[in-house]
Amino acid sequence: MLLFRSEDDIAAWCEQRHITPGATFDVARLWRLARVWYDDRLNSSWRRRTIQERQAILDAVGLSGSFWRLTDS
Amino acid sequence: MTQGSLMLDSEIRLWIYQHFVDTGRAPSPVEIAAHFQLTPAEVEHRLRRLQEEAAALVLLPGSSYIWMAEPFSAVPTPFLVRSGGGQWWGNCVWDALAILALIGTDGVVSTACPNSGQALVLSVTKGSLADAQRIVHFAVPAREWWRDIGFT
Repeated sequence: MLLFRSEDDIAAWCEQRHITPGATFDVARLWRLARVWYDDRLNSSWRRRTIQERQAILDAVGLSGSFWRLTDS
Repeated sequence: MTQGSLMLDSEIRLWIYQHFVDTGRAPSPVEIAAHFQLTPAEVEHRLRRLQEEAAALVLLPGSSYIWMAEPFSAVPTPFLVRSGGGQWWGNCVWDALAILALIGTDGVVSTACPNSGQALVLSVTKGSLADAQRIVHFAVPAREWWRDIGFT
């Protein structure tokens, strides 16, 4: 994912590259997500989180639409 | 595979992360071999297992060099993180912010708007993000994030 100055910049960037616009949100929400997504990486007992655990993190920051589903089901 | 072998994989993984934190870069396979008193072939085998079975890191295609240990990137990216005297590269803006969160430090993430080229700086002070007006765009739905980890 990339950080843009504005929604207009996203629209122009997607149009130039013939990319269908994806999903957007403000960087404040990204900060909330960033603080928890990798918070176990310096633990000696780290293991990769399950899909359900990762989905719960996305849900917790309000990313709950179909775009944010980690599986097809 | 023995429990001891898995424990050594875990120790190597953690050491790689601490190396990123302390130096801003990934250790080379030779450095890992020297630290753990392993042969280069043993290190390569363990790095591949950490990639393929544990999903703990990503190797540069066709090599045994580390490309990513998320959120860290071993190669320069458009997402530079600075704090104190240290600097790191994030794989994306999400990872760049996550580096500050993981290290538990204030700092700045420097990048640029891909369309306008305008420099964008995100500052974290006392654990809070300043200037949260910028917009994040995900081109790829979540279920496809790991299909091509270099493009999300």
